[in-house]
Order: sequence, then structure tokens, then C-alpha cells
Amino acid sequence: MKQQDIEDLRQLIEFLKSHGVAEFDVDRGDLKIRLKFNPQEGAAAGLSDLARLLQTAPQSVAQAAAVTLAGSVSSGAAAEPAANAEAGLHMVKSPIVGTFYGSPSPGAAAFVAPGDHVEKGQVIGIIEAMKLMNEIESDVAGEVVKCLVSNGQAIEFGQPLFSIRTA
Amino acid sequence: MFRKVLVANRGEIALRVLNACRELGIRTVAVYSEADRNSLHVRFADEAICIGPPRASDSYLNVPAVISAAEIADVEAIHPGYGLLSENANFAEVCRASNIKFIGPPPEVTRLMGEKEKARQAMKKAKVPILPGSDGILTSAEEAREWAEKVGYPVILKAKAGGGGRGMRIVRDAEDLPNLFHAAFTEAANAFGNGELYMEKFIEQPRHIEFQVLADEHGSVASLFERECSIQRRHQKLIEEAPSLQITPKMREEVGRTLCKCMSEIGYQNAGTVEFLMDASHQLFFIEMNTRIQVEHPVTEAITGVDLVKAQLRIASGERLDAILPAKLEMRGHAIECRINAEHPVRFTPSAGKITAFNVPGGNGIRVDTALYAEGVIPPYYDSLIAKLIAHGVDRAEAMAKMERALNQFIVQGIDTSISLHEEIFQDAGFRAGDFDTGYMERFLAARAEAEKQPA
Repeated sequence: MKQQDIEDLRQLIEFLKSHGVAEFDVDRGDLKIRLKFNPQEGAAAGLSDLARLLQTAPQSVAQAAAVTLAGSVSSGAAAEPAANAEAGLHMVKSPIVGTFYGSPSPGAAAFVAPGDHVEKGQVIGIIEAMKLMNEIESDVAGEVVKCLVSNGQAIEFGQPLFSIRTA
Repeated sequence: MFRKVLVANRGEIALRVLNACRELGIRTVAVYSEADRNSLHVRFADEAICIGPPRASDSYLNVPAVISAAEIADVEAIHPGYGLLSENANFAEVCRASNIKFIGPPPEVTRLMGEKEKARQAMKKAKVPILPGSDGILTSAEEAREWAEKVGYPVILKAKAGGGGRGMRIVRDAEDLPNLFHAAFTEAANAFGNGELYMEKFIEQPRHIEFQVLADEHGSVASLFERECSIQRRHQKLIEEAPSLQITPKMREEVGRTLCKCMSEIGYQNAGTVEFLMDASHQLFFIEMNTRIQVEHPVTEAITGVDLVKAQLRIASGERLDAILPAKLEMRGHAIECRINAEHPVRFTPSAGKITAFNVPGGNGIRVDTALYAEGVIPPYYDSLIAKLIAHGVDRAEAMAKMERALNQFIVQGIDTSISLHEEIFQDAGFRAGDFDTGYMERFLAARAEAEKQPA
């Protein structure tokens, strides 16, 4: 990619992150980009992953290089601890594939919010799979730091849902 | 045509299906286990969803996970590949109930062909020759003898509850029958708690020949000729060819016609393969049907010029066979496929690990279907097939010459592969002459073991 393209992409990413965009797709014929942001990643970590990938991408934009980050960003985040703030936190990961809901029914209060204390076994969310609502229980006791997914988001196996600070 | 298809498989066949979808303008969704995160099928799909931990039963065979992935990705159809869920009638039913098109035959037909005795009866009704046998359990040695007279020696007595070769006896002479019957019965009773036996005709040194069929959803069926798959080790195919040297044009035409009629009668849809054993007098006997695309489909693609996976997608989306196939199906040349496995070429021990060098051969008439690459890692959880090497020549001699050349240029380092085993087979006079049956590999390996014992 040309230097200007990389700069444009960097600005685009900043813009998307600052507006809390979770996924972004562009297919322009000569260029195809798909960005998927894992909300747990600190900005620094996200961009360094991106920069590394951009360096290995083919030179010519005309080759319709597809910079696919979806798999590497979200799964890479699960494998490598990202920014320091995340270190030492326990991730509650999804045991199934489905759609995440943060509250028991539409409009109802969320199961948990950041700052709440949860017990091991406490229901902290729902993942709907094949029309069945599966309660997601916390596997540890502690304080909810962050909800890493949004209401109605498609979830894959092993995807981090909540970060919890254990005592 | 479908807008989006999920491929419920992994490895080379997942990539094969993704490729066909891509070429047809269909958006692709891959599913993968945690062990396959860095797979090519994941990388080259438009979307990829992790569905479970490494073990197949928790991921690729996990129906709720696969269906859930199909729902969140909003796909219209699922292609099951081969193995895994491809012949699982329950899975096909769940797809139907979830309003997702299963790319294959209707669940009822899958179920019918999955029950061996029912499949035999369905074939018999359609005048497809089946392996003669007793109609059910033999109540006594006398009844066994009567059946043996009808069926013709040699026959094999098999335990109804059996497996692993136990409770089986081959009977070549009427006078041996009573003793062998009792021996088989006792062995079965001891091994499985049930001594009940049935009888089948036993074919000495059979050849394994199968026919490819395609059926659309409007009642049309076509036969895409046969494949010769006798080179097997422990019932796993190693080398396949198309066409078979044993099938005359007349046989090909007759069997093709009979199968088309039969498939039509049972309401078959999409791709399928009907397997036969051929005896020494060149008679074919139906043994079973596989209601899915097969590993060795590339040899048929080579000689017919028909892309079978694209045909599957097109059939499932409602297209008619006469729009998919040429007006007159013809065979061109001869094709051979070698299945390259990640295993030691002599000891056959499986080899998992990281590939350090991977040079894939190319050139005129050489096709390689693989999902591996240099720096790729082979996980220990799945089967050991790492690549299919297909050679297509104007005749068998040219196909063999191309295959030998290609095997020689296929360099894989970091793991053991069966490439050198294939090279040895292609040097063997018997194989080159087309002189083989399903016992070939056993004899070949025994001869090789003997040769190694001789002083150099």
C-alpha cells in the first residue's frame, strides 16, 4: 500500500474507534478492507497489530489486497494480553456460538454493569442459539470491569464477553 | 443462486467448496475449531466463525454450533463437504427445520442409503445387481447350506452383531459349511453376545469400482462414468483412477442407464456415488451408496470437464441438469489421483507438526488440492490427508508419466508423508499394467517387507 493510503487508513481507524464503531467493511473493487474492533483492545495495541499486517500486505492496491483483520484481531486479542489495563483480568468467554443479549428481555435492565460485584455462577448475560436462550454464568467471583460485546452482537466460540477483576 | 453459503467442513475440501462458491459469486462463511485458526479455509473465506475446541465432536460435528453459526451469519445454504456431517440425516433435517438449504439429497434418501439392508433392497428393486445373500438371519447350518447353494460358493458367513472381522468365516466347499457355521456362531456369541449369522457371496480378489451420479431437483439424473479405487490399505483408498480399465463402453452405458433409473425412483438429488465390487468374471455387485461429494471427485472432473462442486451448488439452488451439463457427456483421457497423507511411508505412523518446506508440483495436467502451506501446522485431531495430487493425460500411460514427475517434485519437509510410497507403487509392474484388485496393497507391502529383509 502507498504511504498515503496507510495514513488515510490510520485516520479512518482513529475515527472509527473514537466513534465506537465495531465493524467496518469497504469493497471498492481495487481495494477491499474489513475491520473488526475488539472492544477490549487498547488503541495502541490495535494499531500496532494493524501496522504489522499492513507491512506484509501486497504492494499494489490494484491487486485488490484484502486486509482481513476480523480473525486475527479478535482471536489474537484472546491469545495475547493486550494493553496493560487488561493484564490480570479474567475473561469470561462464550461457550457457544450465537447472539449476545445483555438483559433478560428487550428494554429490561442489564444483568450486570461495570463496577458490579458478581458471584461464581451468577448469570451475567444470555446467548441465543437456535431460538434457545442460554444463560451465561460467570465462572469466577469478582468485579465486572467491562462488557466486551454489544447487545445483539454475533458471538463465536471462545469469544471474550466480560472482563472481571478477581479479588 | 445463493447469496451466502456456509461450509461445514475443514481442510482441503472446505477450501475446494469455498473456491467453487467464490467463482460463482457466492459469499462464503467458514467455521473452524480452535485448532484450525490459521487454516487456509479460514483465511480465504469472506467470514469465519469459531465454533468450538479442537476435537471434532465438540466443533465440526457439533450440530447446534454449526447451525448457530449459520444463523448468525445469515446464510442461505450449508455445504457439508465429505465425512463429518455430510451423511448425517439428522443434520440435514435440522437444516431443513431451520430454513437452511442442505446441499445434498433430502434427509429421507440419506437415511435410506445409510441403512445397508434397505439400500440393498432399494437397489434390487431397481434391477441394480446386488451382492447375493441370505434374506436375513440363518437359523441353522442346513438353512445356511440351502442359501449357499443358491448364492454359489464361495460364501462368507457374517455375524449380524459383528465387526472387526470376528464371527466371519469364508466357506469355499459345501462339506466345510457345517463346521464353519458353528465356529462362526460360537465366536460371534462369545465376542458380541449374539451368534446370529447372515450370508453374502464372497468375492475373491474383488475390484472396487464406483459410479458418479448427479441428480437435479426436477427429476433428471446423469451418470458421470466410473472410478477405479482398488488401491486401498485397510479399506482406505490411496489411489483412484478414471476411467476404469475393467469397464467396457457397453457396461458403462448399461450401468449408467440402470443407475439413472434407480436414482430417479428413489428420488435422489444432488451428487452421489454408487459403489460396486467386481468379481473375476467382470460382474458388478452393489455394495453401498455415498450420498455426498467424494474425496476422489477430481478424477471425474478431469475426464468429463464438469465441476462437480459447482454442479452441487447449482443443483441445490434449483438449476436444471441440462443447463449444468453439456448436451453429450464424454470422457477425455485418463486421470489418476494420489492421496498424500501425513504418515510415515513405511510404518504408517501419523505425523503431526509444522511443515518447514512445501513445494507443490505444477505443470500441464497436474492439479493439487491442498489446504496446507509452508509454516503450516498439522493438528493431531483430524484425518491425515494433506493433499490430493491429480494427473490427467491423454491416456493412462501419459497420466502415469505426469504423476511420477509430479510426485518427484512434491517436496514436503518437517513431517512424514506418503509421497515416497506412491513413487514406489508407480514403479511397480503390476500397478503399471493395471493388474490389481483390493488385495494389491497388502501384497505390495508384504513383498516390500520381504525385500527389505534380504541382504542388500
